[in-house]
Amino acid sequence: MTPAYPDLKPSHVDGVSKVEMSLFNSRSDVKYYQIEVFDEEWVNIPFSTTYRIMKLDHKERKNFDVYIRNIDIDRAVYLCTTSKISKSKSTRPFVASKICSRLDGPQA
Amino acid sequence: MKYSAFILAMAALPAAANTEINGMVEAKCVIQTDTSGVYGNPTADKLSTANTDGGVIPIVRYDVAIADYYLAKITHPTEFSSSPALSDTVTWTGETSVFQTSDAGMSAYDTNKIVYGSTSEFDLTIAGSTWFKTTSTASYGFGKAFPGGNYTAIVVAECIAK
Repeated sequence: MTPAYPDLKPSHVDGVSKVEMSLFNSRSDVKYYQIEVFDEEWVNIPFSTTYRIMKLDHKERKNFDVYIRNIDIDRAVYLCTTSKISKSKSTRPFVASKICSRLDGPQA
Repeated sequence: MKYSAFILAMAALPAAANTEINGMVEAKCVIQTDTSGVYGNPTADKLSTANTDGGVIPIVRYDVAIADYYLAKITHPTEFSSSPALSDTVTWTGETSVFQTSDAGMSAYDTNKIVYGSTSEFDLTIAGSTWFKTTSTASYGFGKAFPGGNYTAIVVAECIAK
């Protein structure tokens, strides 16, 4: 997932900021990724996006926007994507991956 | 005649055009499953990924494009994500270590790793690829046999921007 340190931009909605992200699926054993936003203590922060769980085929890239209320911006630290485990026993992976960008870091 | 010679000369000139290819290397972390793990069942009360126990050790590969941007956190299982019904406690052990590196300097990751609970944390201070292996062992009750069925547990591999 890129960038590591995304920019927060004003959105078309008053009081809401937008983060533009890109996700690339390098895992052939995973097709679904969940988007989450956390504070410093890994407590969930409310956010909005088109699909909280995105389907990505192997080697596919998708761009997505995450919307966070300005009142939550100061608390929001991590924007993460987590691989989702399939219920199908034949394709169930042994490894779950989670990649997090920092919303409070230096701009890339 | 002169005009014809000019036309021929122009036709003989090779056509050339410059096409740019642009690219940007930005900080990013990619996690891939290099080897999927399998539990072996060497004794009735034990499931283990160790090769000597008939298992396969899961190996995860981390690729970082730019040095010193990410922490790798790898957590070995402490519960089954799916299993038959279990009536007794399961004791879990596990360990994560560097298996292979694309840069000799990455061998220091093991000595500098921080372990808390079931999680091992590595500071990815060098750009390139690092392969981590995670062992996992589950022991059931006190000399009790695991019930027959499928057992799955999950290794959690995280890459967190610093």
